[in-house]
Amino acid sequence: MTRFDEILPKLADVLGHHAQALALMAPVIVNRDLNGRVRLMVDARWADDAENAQRLNQIAADLYGALGPHGYPPERGLLFEGSLEQEFGRGRAFPLPGVDGVHVVDRLATDTSWSSITPPTGGPPRVVFFSIKGGVGRSTALAATAWSLAEGDTRVLVLDLDLESPGLSTALLPEDRRPAYGIADWLVEDLVDNGDSVLGDMVVTSELSRNGEIMVVPAHGQDPGEYVSKLGRVWMPRVTDTGVREAWAARLDRLLVGLEARYQPDVILIDSRAGIDEVAATCLTELGASSILLFAIDGDQTWSGYRILFSHWRRAGVVAEIRERLQVVGAMVPDTGAKEYFDRLRERAWNVFTEELYDEVPPGALAGTEDYWSFDETDLGAPHYPWAIRWRQGFAALTNLHDRLNQIDPAEAQAVFGPLMEGVRLVMDTKQEVDS
Amino acid sequence: MNTDFLDAHERHWEDAELLSESARHANADHLYGVAAECGLKRLMCAFGMGLDADGRPPPGDRLHADGIWDRYEAYRSSHHLGTGYPLPGTNPFSDWDVNQRYAHRSGFDGARAGRHRVGAEHVRRLIAQARKDGLL
Repeated sequence: MTRFDEILPKLADVLGHHAQALALMAPVIVNRDLNGRVRLMVDARWADDAENAQRLNQIAADLYGALGPHGYPPERGLLFEGSLEQEFGRGRAFPLPGVDGVHVVDRLATDTSWSSITPPTGGPPRVVFFSIKGGVGRSTALAATAWSLAEGDTRVLVLDLDLESPGLSTALLPEDRRPAYGIADWLVEDLVDNGDSVLGDMVVTSELSRNGEIMVVPAHGQDPGEYVSKLGRVWMPRVTDTGVREAWAARLDRLLVGLEARYQPDVILIDSRAGIDEVAATCLTELGASSILLFAIDGDQTWSGYRILFSHWRRAGVVAEIRERLQVVGAMVPDTGAKEYFDRLRERAWNVFTEELYDEVPPGALAGTEDYWSFDETDLGAPHYPWAIRWRQGFAALTNLHDRLNQIDPAEAQAVFGPLMEGVRLVMDTKQEVDS
Repeated sequence: MNTDFLDAHERHWEDAELLSESARHANADHLYGVAAECGLKRLMCAFGMGLDADGRPPPGDRLHADGIWDRYEAYRSSHHLGTGYPLPGTNPFSDWDVNQRYAHRSGFDGARAGRHRVGAEHVRRLIAQARKDGLL
């Protein structure tokens, strides 16, 4: 009996036998629906072409024979569409490995696919803080980075997009300074064209700001209200009266553009939900991030998680669109055995990057050239080379972080978060150079 | 005869298009409304609406295009896949009534039928999407 992971190899096998006929009818799409059942989708003109219709019926029968419960009976195994081009624009299409000219369009129950990669935006750099597992000090590191940047004259806009487990604003704002509304409020109001009514009251400047400014956009306002009910609606797409559909990621991007225009930040730091999650997918792939910081502690769960994600990008054929924006951050590096820990972390990061993201460099060729995007394990500037954050008890809990940052010794902050802070500054400088 | 909302949606649309091409706006307008109604009822079935033994929806859902637009929203909102099947909030059939089939043809023009055609097209797009998603 065929199971889900056998669909693509069996498709390649069956369609490979019909490659000549399919080439004549290109483009050809394999439609994998919400239930994981597969049908061929071809241009409607082939339905009226007796010879090709017969071929298609044979292919549909062969597919059903090979795929069983993941196929459709031959009489329902074909979809004829007037315009196939629009199917490719949905960001979930990828080439079927091994069969030229055939693409798979994957229908998912979620609105995000992790494989629709938006290029970096033209405005201030957006830096996404992500971890495949929670509890690694990601939000704390973001708060410290914001603090550090605002010690200079940088205007930092901080967004708490860990909507299902909000807390970042606690680190940057005392209880009585929270704004009335948050991101979830805007997303819900926007569904009924009422977003502007909260936009002006969802940002507050942190008193931790010195020369620059830390502008905080929390997940929810001072009174969370019916937060669970709002959360269940935030990823709703919106449809205009003219029928144009706007996915929730596009709505979120519209919010960011509005905030950029209103508050003129130099950089935007985004705290993403952990794990392979709907909100995280949007933060990493659809907000046009300049840099995506992948927080990692050494362990099997970390690397098996990142490998799943990277291999998805590889299968979807989008690795080249996103890999240059990735950067590993080594979280909570212990004082005891720090070097051994760091070396192990770097080695495992390099293994996963090499197998899934870096180009294979043939013998005799050089890594890191224009032809081959690849790096040695010890290359300090490589995306797999972790920016290390040292473990410190005083920074472990977000609840007292506000007080901690208020009295922080800059030298101590540098000792703990130095590589991260410098790295984010470098991202800002690089973006400025590219834009100019 | 058995109820087949999907086929009814398609044949009413096709006939509406034929009439529209011949500038038979009054009957085209009527059929665009019926096409939208049938398409929405088929989607409502996919989102959980049951039919009785005669193939009829529950009494509260035996509505035409002007009323079914809002009922559709209730079914869509109660199904976890419904987020992918939104309609514009404004019902383009709010000025459409099934009893207008008794009205004189001078009350209809291309602009009016065109507005209702746009409404039926929204439904057609959702039907096409549901087919690809494997809901139909």
